[in-house]
Amino acid sequence: MSAPAVARRVVASAPVVALAGALLLTTLVMVVVGVDPTLAYPALVRGALFDGNLEYTIAAFVPTLGMALAFALPLRAGEFNLGGDGQLALGGVTAAAVALLAPLPPGVAVVLPLVLGAVAGGVVAVVAAPLSTRLGIPAIVSTLLISAPAVSLASYLVRFPLAEPNTGIAQTPPLPEAAHLPALGGSGYLTIGLPLVAVLTALWLYADGRTVLGYEIRATGQNREFARYGGVRVGRVAALALAGGGAFAGLAGALIVLGPPHRFVDGALTAPGYTFTAVAAVLLAGARPVVVPLTVALLTFLQVGGQGMEREAGVPSQLTQIVQGLIIVIVAVLATLRARRAR
Amino acid sequence: MYAAELVGVTKRFGPVLANDGIDLAVARGEVHAVVGENGAGKSTLMSILYGLHRPDAGEVRRDGNRIVLRSPTDAIRHGLGMVHQRFRLFPGLTVAENIVIGAEPVRRGRLDRAAANEAVAALSERYGLRADPSALVGGLPVGVRQRVEILRALYRHAEVLILDEPTAVLTPGETDRLFEVLRTVAATGVSILLVTHKLSEVLAVGDRVTVLRQGRVTGRFTASETDADELVNAMIGRSLTPPAPRRARVPEGEPLLEVRDLTVRDADGVARLSGISFAVRPGEIVGLAGVAGSGQRELVDSVTGLRGAVPGVFLAGTPVLAGRDPRVAYVPEDRHGRATAPGMSVAENVLMGAQRDLASRGGLPRAKVRARARDLVDRFSISAASVDVPIGALSGGNAQKAVLARELTRSSQVVVAEEPTQGVDVGVRERVHDLLRTARDEGAAILLQSSELSELRDLADRILVLYEGRVVAEFPGDATETELGRAMVGATG
Repeated sequence: MSAPAVARRVVASAPVVALAGALLLTTLVMVVVGVDPTLAYPALVRGALFDGNLEYTIAAFVPTLGMALAFALPLRAGEFNLGGDGQLALGGVTAAAVALLAPLPPGVAVVLPLVLGAVAGGVVAVVAAPLSTRLGIPAIVSTLLISAPAVSLASYLVRFPLAEPNTGIAQTPPLPEAAHLPALGGSGYLTIGLPLVAVLTALWLYADGRTVLGYEIRATGQNREFARYGGVRVGRVAALALAGGGAFAGLAGALIVLGPPHRFVDGALTAPGYTFTAVAAVLLAGARPVVVPLTVALLTFLQVGGQGMEREAGVPSQLTQIVQGLIIVIVAVLATLRARRAR
Repeated sequence: MYAAELVGVTKRFGPVLANDGIDLAVARGEVHAVVGENGAGKSTLMSILYGLHRPDAGEVRRDGNRIVLRSPTDAIRHGLGMVHQRFRLFPGLTVAENIVIGAEPVRRGRLDRAAANEAVAALSERYGLRADPSALVGGLPVGVRQRVEILRALYRHAEVLILDEPTAVLTPGETDRLFEVLRTVAATGVSILLVTHKLSEVLAVGDRVTVLRQGRVTGRFTASETDADELVNAMIGRSLTPPAPRRARVPEGEPLLEVRDLTVRDADGVARLSGISFAVRPGEIVGLAGVAGSGQRELVDSVTGLRGAVPGVFLAGTPVLAGRDPRVAYVPEDRHGRATAPGMSVAENVLMGAQRDLASRGGLPRAKVRARARDLVDRFSISAASVDVPIGALSGGNAQKAVLARELTRSSQVVVAEEPTQGVDVGVRERVHDLLRTARDEGAAILLQSSELSELRDLADRILVLYEGRVVAEFPGDATETELGRAMVGATG
């Protein structure tokens, strides 16, 4: 394909059209509610990338990417994991508990909470697998239903058994120094979480495209009956994919807790809405896993920048949520239109 | 003036030119057959006439006037009706309710059941299509369901009726009855467009025939003045070689597939197979005939291991393995539902089952996967733009060749083929039959399930007839269709 043809296809692709359309409509909303877009957009960019804000953006990018994998991996096997919040919270609280309760040598003190946090997330997610294969309850329902009690359980743990004594605040005591994620910059917001998640993403992309397991997961997602007919143990593959997704969510929770402010604060993991930003990013990427890190970066940029916009230009940060919502709507409309035109 | 005309219709799907300037005219009250290989453009053309697709160029005319069809609703308004290959009926509603849906007789805002039944009864009477208006559709045999579909189109005053491969799901007896119905309906002035690839049907029921090949009209015939050879020539641009003479031989050796007293019950405890026993020896093709739903699905799923390790199935003397026994090559009937993942590439579709053989330490090198696929595509002459295109983009015949390529290269000694030539054209059918004969000659034990009796007669050494979950008869391969047809409906003796 010639270079201009490639360029044309990229420009006309669903994510680009969706983003452009969403920004256009958001600009219209700004004008209607009386906000000057020429002030708001620069504030958005500054809020995300400059004035020392880039570190916050990256700090938000890491868990969002983790949560994107938590949704994308089971999706490849045809399972919708909407229980990210519960897996995230239990992963985080597990990591905090391990770090607080077991005095560990340096190194292990970081690794073990991360690993057990991932395991906790995986366990919460994998419950959906037998519910789906044995009882026929779709994972999209069971993961979502299990999420709420899982979040509550984490909340209970942090309010009572793990609570910081005598403060009355729903948070754990600060974690021991040895359990802090090694920082990559001065402020401590940039940690080894970034390279870790980047490497895991690369591993996932490799496994998805170039391993037997990745192939069997995709075959299961594309046509479960075909995979079963071909001898793939589809129940096991779907369970593995869900467990893998949950493990990514649990790891994301552990990374948040072991990063600044180095404690589990009740609600701090779920309030920023990483889970659903991640779902939006994966849907925006469509069926192309390679694009997921890019769409995650984009939505994180909008989200963090939106807060900057609110501070500087007095624009409610909800406007960036409008952008996000519009992106999803436009992606869905484009998919429908394309399917209709193909007839 | 023609009842319906397609003039200069051109339709392109991406790089594929599905219809290239097609002219087709149907007179009032004629049965007009549209034949062609798979991928010749028949379905696209009919979809344009029924408003499902819009042509890139050309136009549709009714009674000489140009009409624009944006949807099937438009088509119905213009007196066009279509009976799809897969019925679109509500099993939980009655015959009458299914027929009047969309144009229900209403009394005080509610469905007027009595009026509906009456209207449907009158309609059945008028066209000689017997169907009990108050029967539930879910309990009816396939042939009657098809009649309900036809009645539904006639109820909406269809003057041009399109039938897409209507006999694919019917028994020989039901097919004969359908043809009678079509003649009766045509005699009342309704024009019938019959899409098919079975030439015997064309000659039996058609008045005129239009042959398509690669999106163009390659022949127009009057049925009474043509024959199968002439039609085949127009369809594939060459003549068929006559089939190899049947070998007179007795297969020897220990059975590769043996079924002993196999009983299978469904989830409700109802026996779907009762006490089935038979054996297939190396170098033998055993045919399986029967009306749809006589236990074929359960038998095939038991033999392949997909039903688990059911007791009573032995492969080369040892029990079948649960999941999918790798010792069985299996060509399923349901091409998009089971045999392929339409959204995955040709390479990844032909990989299924061999992925672990190609892998090294869990890694699956793309180069190896694609090279293997290219080799299969060449050897089985599958026409695909590349091995990276989705298999769903191939024509039915090429997708089927890809499935056969995958299964017949599995080095399995037992081959189970379900309707291996369903929905494929004569050229591919010939090729598929050759492949099965070659596998047999190389010593495979083949179980062939087919609803086309001529296919069983062409290939099988013996034919078992299933009826209500039992083997009710066994015939030599050259049994007549009448004998087989009688056994299939349970008429013994």
